[in-house]
Amino acid sequence: MKKLLVVDDEAEICDFLKTFFEERDYDVRTAESGIRALEMIAEDKPHVVLLDIHMPGMDGLATLKEIKSAYSDIKVVMVTAIETQEKIETAMRHGADNYITKPLSLEYLEKDVKEKIDHVIDMQESR
Amino acid sequence: MSLYMKKNKKLMRKALIAASLFLLGSLAVSLYSLLVKRFGSVEWLHHPLMLVSIMTLISVLAFKPLDIAFTQLFKNYLFKKKSYGHIALMNLTEELALILDLQELGNLIVNTFGEVLHLKTVALVIGSRVRGDFEIASAYGWNVSDYRRVRLPEDSPLIQLIRSGGPHVLVRDRAIRTLAWQEANRLTHDFDSLRAGWVIPLFLKEDFIGAIAFSAQGDQRVFDEVDFHFFREFAAPVAKYIRNAMTVQELKIVNSELQDIQSQLIQSTKLTAIEQLATGIAHEIHNPLTIISGKAQVLLMQKKDQNLDQRVEEVLKTIVKQTTRAADITRKLLMFSQGSRAPKEPLSLGQTLEDTIALIAYQTSLEGIEITKSFGDGIPDFYANVHEMREVFLNLILNSVQSVGSHGKIHIELNYDSKDELLSVQISDTGRGIDKDHIDKLFNPFFTTRNDGVGLGLFVTKQIVHRYGGSIRAESRPGEGSLFIVQLPILGVSGYGEVPDRSSLTLFPGV
Repeated sequence: MKKLLVVDDEAEICDFLKTFFEERDYDVRTAESGIRALEMIAEDKPHVVLLDIHMPGMDGLATLKEIKSAYSDIKVVMVTAIETQEKIETAMRHGADNYITKPLSLEYLEKDVKEKIDHVIDMQESR
Repeated sequence: MSLYMKKNKKLMRKALIAASLFLLGSLAVSLYSLLVKRFGSVEWLHHPLMLVSIMTLISVLAFKPLDIAFTQLFKNYLFKKKSYGHIALMNLTEELALILDLQELGNLIVNTFGEVLHLKTVALVIGSRVRGDFEIASAYGWNVSDYRRVRLPEDSPLIQLIRSGGPHVLVRDRAIRTLAWQEANRLTHDFDSLRAGWVIPLFLKEDFIGAIAFSAQGDQRVFDEVDFHFFREFAAPVAKYIRNAMTVQELKIVNSELQDIQSQLIQSTKLTAIEQLATGIAHEIHNPLTIISGKAQVLLMQKKDQNLDQRVEEVLKTIVKQTTRAADITRKLLMFSQGSRAPKEPLSLGQTLEDTIALIAYQTSLEGIEITKSFGDGIPDFYANVHEMREVFLNLILNSVQSVGSHGKIHIELNYDSKDELLSVQISDTGRGIDKDHIDKLFNPFFTTRNDGVGLGLFVTKQIVHRYGGSIRAESRPGEGSLFIVQLPILGVSGYGEVPDRSSLTLFPGV
C-alpha cells in the first residue's frame, strides 16, 4: 500500500487531497499541524509527506527538519501557497524533495507523488 | 545708492582741488607782496609777468603735496572714517545680515564693494570644506568662466601668508618685497591668479574663512592706513555672515540627502507593506483557489468515464485557467516587493528585456500591439539585481503599452557607448504622448494621468535607475508618441563591491 501523509492547517485542503489520492488507491492520512504530523509518523511511517509551509505553531520548515533528521528515507514535498524565495531555498537546503505551489496542478502532483513513493518502495525492497 | 555716492565723491574731489588752488594762489600772492616790499627798488619785479611766473612755480612745486595733505586732513580729521564709501559699506553689512544664500551674499558683497570703491576686480575667496582648497565664490569684473577655474591650494604662499598674518590687509607690492625672489615669484603668481592688488582676510575669531581680493582701476588708486583700518572692521561682520551662509548651504545639502533617503525609505516601507499584503492575501485565497481548481481538475480527469459535454469541459478548463491567473497576481506582487533584496549578478540586459517582454506578451497580443527590438553588438553584462532591472523595463514598457492602446507600436533599443561606458535603453511608442505640463512631473510619486493608476511605476523606476548611478528622461510630442531613455553606467566591479564567485550563487548548494 502506498502511504501518504497530508499536513495542512486548512481542513478542506486535507479532505480534498485525501479524497483525491484515496480514489487512486493510496493509504492517506491527514494532520492539521506539525506536531500532530510527527506523532502520526511515529505511529506509522508514510512513504511521502505533503507538507504545507505556512502553519500556526510549528511551521512546515521546522516540521521538515524534524522529519528529515529522524527519518531520512521519507520523501517530503513542500506545498506552499506563496512563499519567499528565501523560505523555499531554506526548505530545499533542509532536504525537501520538491516544492509545489497552490493552486495545485493535480496531474503534476499525482505524478510526482507516485514517482517518489515508487522510489521509496523500491529502495526498501532492495534492502 | 552707489550713483549718488559717486556724484558726491566727484564733488568732494573738486572741492579739495579748489581749496588747494585757492591756498596756492594766496601763497603766491603773499610771496609776491613780500618780494615787492623787500626789493621794492628793483624795477622788473613790478612787472605782472613776474607774479604769474611765481604763481606757476609754486603751483608746480606745491600742488601735489598740498593735495595729499588736504586729502589726508579731510579724511582723518574732518570726516574720519565716515567717507561716502565707508558709509555705503557699513550700510551693506546691515543688509548682509539678512541674506542666508551664499551665492546671493557673495554677489552683493563683491558688487557693492566694486562699485562703491570704483574697483577693477573684486573676488570673494572662500575655503571649500570638502576639498580643502580655496576658490572664488563670487566675483566682480571677472568672466564667470575665468573665475570658476581659480583654485588656491591650502599650501599656496598667499593662503599661508594670510593664515600667519592674521586679519591685516595685504598689499601686493609690500608683501612681495619682503620675500626672496623664488618665494616672491610664487606669491606674485597667487596675487595674479586672483588679479589682486590688495587682499582683505576674512577671519571669524581665529577661524580663517576666506578673503576679499581686489584690484583698482588703471590709475592705481592708493589705499591708506585709514582705509585698511576700515577694511578690517568691515571684514569682521562679513566673515560672520559668510560662515552662517556656508552653514546654511551645508544644511541644505544634508537636508536634500535626507530627503533622498526618506523617499527610499517610503519606497521600501511601501514594498514591505505590499509584501505583507501579498503574503496575507495569498494564504487566504490560495487555499480556496486550490479547492476550486482541484475539483475542476478532478472532473476533467474523469471526463472519459463520465462522457462530459464539450461545453462543460470548456467551462472546467476556464475555471482551472482563471484560478491560476488569480494566484499569479499575488505571486507577481510578491516578486516585485521582494525584488530589491535579491543579490546582484552580471546580467545581460538584452535577455532581461526579452524576459520582460515575454511577461506581458499575452496582454500585448490581445491588443494587437507590435513590439520591435534592436539590440546593438558587444553589449557588456550589467552588474545588477535582476528583479530591479525587470521592474524598470516592465514599468516603462507597460507605460508605453497603456499609452499606445490597441494596434500601437513600441520599439525597444539597447545600445552600448564604449567611450562613455554607458548602456542605454530607449523605449519609444506611437502613443498619445505626454503633455508638456506633465513631462516634468512624470517621475514624481503618485503622479498619474490614468484613473486607475497609482502613480508609482515611473517613480520607482527612477529610484532604481538612480541607485545604479544612471539617469532617465522622457521626450514627447503630444499626439505622436513618447521616448524614454535610460542610461546606466558600467561602473566596473569596484562600484558595487566584489563580484561574488558565481558558483556561490547556486540556488541549492549540496542538492
